[in-house]
Amino acid sequence: MKDDGAKLGFRLTLPAQVLVLFISVFPLLMQLYISLTDWSPLAGTSWTQAWAMWNTFANYIDLIYDHRLWSALGRTALVIGVCVPVEFLLGLGLATLFMDDFPGKRAAYSILIMPMMVVPAVAGYMFFMLFQSGGPINDILSNLIGHPITVAWLSDPNLALLAVMVADIWQWTPLMFLILLAGLAGVPEDQIRAATLLGAGPVQRFVTIVLPRMKTIIGIALAIRVIECFKIFDTLFIMTGGGPGVATETISVYIYKIATQDLIWGYVAAIALAILIVLSIACVWALKRMART
Amino acid sequence: MSTIHLQQLVKRFGPFTALKTMDLTIADGEFVALLGPSGCGKSTTMNMIAGMERPSEGRILFDGRDMAGVPMGRRGVGFVFQNYAIFTHLTVGQNLAYGLRATRRPVDEVNRRVSAMADLLQLTTMLDRPSAGLSVNILQRVAIGRSAVMEPSIFLLDEPLSNVDAAFRTVMRTELKALQRQFRQTMVYVTHDQLEAMTMADRIAVMDHGVLQQVGTPLEIYNDPDNLFVARFIGSPGMNLLQGQPVETATGLALDLGPLGQTPPLSAPQVAALRQAKADVVYGFRPELVALVPEGQGMAMPITFVERIGARTILHLGQGSASAKVVLENDAGLQTGQILHFAPLAHAVRLFEAASGIALKGA
Amino acid sequence: MAEIAFYNVTKRYGDTVAVDNASFTVADNEFFCFFGPPLSGKSTILRLILGLEKPDVGEILIDGKVVNAVSPAQRNIAMVFQNLALFPHMSAADNIRFPLIERNEASAIIEARLKDAAEKLHIVHILHKMPGQLSGGERQRVAIARALVRDPAAYLMDDPISALDARLREETRVELKRIQREAGRTLIYVTHDQEEAMSVADRMAILEHGVIRQVGTPVEIYDNPATTYVARFLGSPTMNILPVQRVGEGYEAASGALRIQSQTVAGATELGLRPEDLRVQPFAGKGSPATVAEVEPLGGYTVVTLTAGDVSLHAMVRGQPDLRVGVQVTLSCDPAKVIYFGASGTTLPRMRGVAQ
Repeated sequence: MKDDGAKLGFRLTLPAQVLVLFISVFPLLMQLYISLTDWSPLAGTSWTQAWAMWNTFANYIDLIYDHRLWSALGRTALVIGVCVPVEFLLGLGLATLFMDDFPGKRAAYSILIMPMMVVPAVAGYMFFMLFQSGGPINDILSNLIGHPITVAWLSDPNLALLAVMVADIWQWTPLMFLILLAGLAGVPEDQIRAATLLGAGPVQRFVTIVLPRMKTIIGIALAIRVIECFKIFDTLFIMTGGGPGVATETISVYIYKIATQDLIWGYVAAIALAILIVLSIACVWALKRMART
Repeated sequence: MSTIHLQQLVKRFGPFTALKTMDLTIADGEFVALLGPSGCGKSTTMNMIAGMERPSEGRILFDGRDMAGVPMGRRGVGFVFQNYAIFTHLTVGQNLAYGLRATRRPVDEVNRRVSAMADLLQLTTMLDRPSAGLSVNILQRVAIGRSAVMEPSIFLLDEPLSNVDAAFRTVMRTELKALQRQFRQTMVYVTHDQLEAMTMADRIAVMDHGVLQQVGTPLEIYNDPDNLFVARFIGSPGMNLLQGQPVETATGLALDLGPLGQTPPLSAPQVAALRQAKADVVYGFRPELVALVPEGQGMAMPITFVERIGARTILHLGQGSASAKVVLENDAGLQTGQILHFAPLAHAVRLFEAASGIALKGA
Repeated sequence: MAEIAFYNVTKRYGDTVAVDNASFTVADNEFFCFFGPPLSGKSTILRLILGLEKPDVGEILIDGKVVNAVSPAQRNIAMVFQNLALFPHMSAADNIRFPLIERNEASAIIEARLKDAAEKLHIVHILHKMPGQLSGGERQRVAIARALVRDPAAYLMDDPISALDARLREETRVELKRIQREAGRTLIYVTHDQEEAMSVADRMAILEHGVIRQVGTPVEIYDNPATTYVARFLGSPTMNILPVQRVGEGYEAASGALRIQSQTVAGATELGLRPEDLRVQPFAGKGSPATVAEVEPLGGYTVVTLTAGDVSLHAMVRGQPDLRVGVQVTLSCDPAKVIYFGASGTTLPRMRGVAQ
């Protein structure tokens, strides 16, 4: 009886399954195909004829020796390594703050989550203007220090990435805050009271009760932000365009540049596919680890 | 070991008064139950003793020391939550050790005290088990052990049996009482189940609508309720209460219960109290303390429903708006629709002033 | 109108047998109660009757027709869930109307049924309120009214009043019984509260690990339990079940503290005696005494825990006897009240004992 039901269900959902398969698998297969060729839109042939420029794994061997790729990857890792922990700690701090009542909480809450809703391109323009040599940030710093300074935030190769990270933290701390607030609210009040009655202080309560109970949600929040941060593009591109030079060129910006300027699409496809595979393996590993604990 | 004094304790939540001027002294080593229906203020009282809520007025003293401003972690109070609040991400052993570790006791002391507690509660074989998914009776022991290992002078229990299957509650009650004997601490127990309070407590404080109704031993409260609420709330079923007016009869002063006829004559102290009251009276008697009498004597009411529960039979009686219950050990095959002729045992009759609900106790 | 019967029904989930070869018949208009510890198969039986599960083996019959292949919607059985499952955004009246509106009944019929059910359940005055404004008892009645208006062949209820206060439960169970009689429908009821089960049930089935151990009226099962399991499971405090030895003209238990004049009962290894049948008297200085270990006054009754040798016994004594912990007492009983069990735990045919 049960098997009949399962069979019927399978038949009913078959069209939808085929469609989903087509949508997700077809572009991947096409990408794999092109990544094994030297095809470029300038080649004068349709992509379907790309087999004529077949080069087997040459693209994949090339990318191993691509220094610009590796430094873009390193830069992306740096952005993730700085932004995600900072966003996490800020978000956690704010969420803890919001677990208690204080006057103006609702208003503060609304203001706090607003950056998340700003279109990233608009956020990029905002920070582009804020970080100008004659912009408000330099003005404020000048006032604080007491003598006028003009820091070239976006054109100094050493500072540009910092400015980009500030923008990312501004925009995405609210998301962290929201997720962690939901997690904190899910820790049963009685557990915290029980710990208090047993003599645990606030720090102990946080470390021994709150954190272990939020493990899963922290894992999810970090995973979302790491994946998103890896793909950082719009805000950054508007602020610096990946420059000065290649000082803020992350992996997305690099791919964009070689795809639109150098037009070597076979190679672009190879990079994209390689990154996809590496990321997928990392994700599966992380998920398995999370499931085990 | 601690005495608890509640002095003129009041708790308000905004415009709502949860507790109205409560005075109660709980002796060292005593087991007191706070008993009442939901919303009667019993949990609020308990939370104030624990320090989770701040009194709006009045004082709480432990051994004469005012607890105002003493945070809940420093009161030396053990608390067992309704849902036990076990740290499910820790093992049984880690739960037991939690308080000792939190207060940074030396490792060997923690180990010694945890293993002694585990021995006492028969949890030794479970110390390394994760505490998630354990059965309720073990969870209860872990919850109690986790507090007891801190050697608190006062133990507070918030309806710890309300989530337990009815079949299992008897076992848990016995176990809990045995534990109290072992620890000999002052215990305050919150419950809405009069059976739990009756069987476990040294004294019961009955509460309703934020007002303390009566304090006394279980039998004092059962035998001599101070008012109609206590009379109705204690006992299973509660006391029968019938409206009546005093009438003189050939055999002495009795009550006219309207269509139900007249009660047997009242006792001398009751007559004295009744003459002072001069108002409508409520006639009260326990369903268990009733004798069946031949037709024509005593009271007569039709049986509306028969509940046979093991050895006991609860007869539901009703006539017009008046209703009563009688509990018999041997129901002699009585059926719905039959008329029951019965008389409350003379020593078991209690009178209450109808308007105020206060018991008329013989002078 | 519905008679519900199981013939040799077995239901497995993987390796666990939830219901093991169950056969029973619930008569039309009967209030039938399933009683057992958690995971004993009570809820699975309800799901099988509803049609939410299909039996692996055996047949389920409603009014003599095999319904194994009939979908839940076509069985016309109403269920009242443990958590009541009222819609919080609808008034009590709309909650009760809901199943009828779903069936596209004419509005005159809907209103008539609503009125009828509301009167039966005494909830006319609260129909306009939202579930959040109702007390637990009122919510429960609304949930029952919602099941009632569907006019089903039978009702199933899964521990519907367990969430109520103790006092309210005592009142509501009587109400439930009255409603069932007035509605004149088969009602199958699951509870883990034995007082409730004995109070409401016309007949009941005692379950253990998916096996039906005994079916009968509450009084039959209470007085004549089929096994030690059933004997222990029904009754509070539980039945005293003690190993016995044949001594002289009778049996002896509890290190000689309890002596019963009786003929030999072939194969008797244990005796069973209800706490209310155990007499406790001041120690007469003759025979072996028992010691009072615990006194629990309930007002009308007192539960006394006694120890004798290495066994512990419960006695339920009428009134408020003057017994103190540590006092020595003499135990006795009416031999006719004693049940004997064999080595396998099954009840042996009762012997008419000779009163001492």
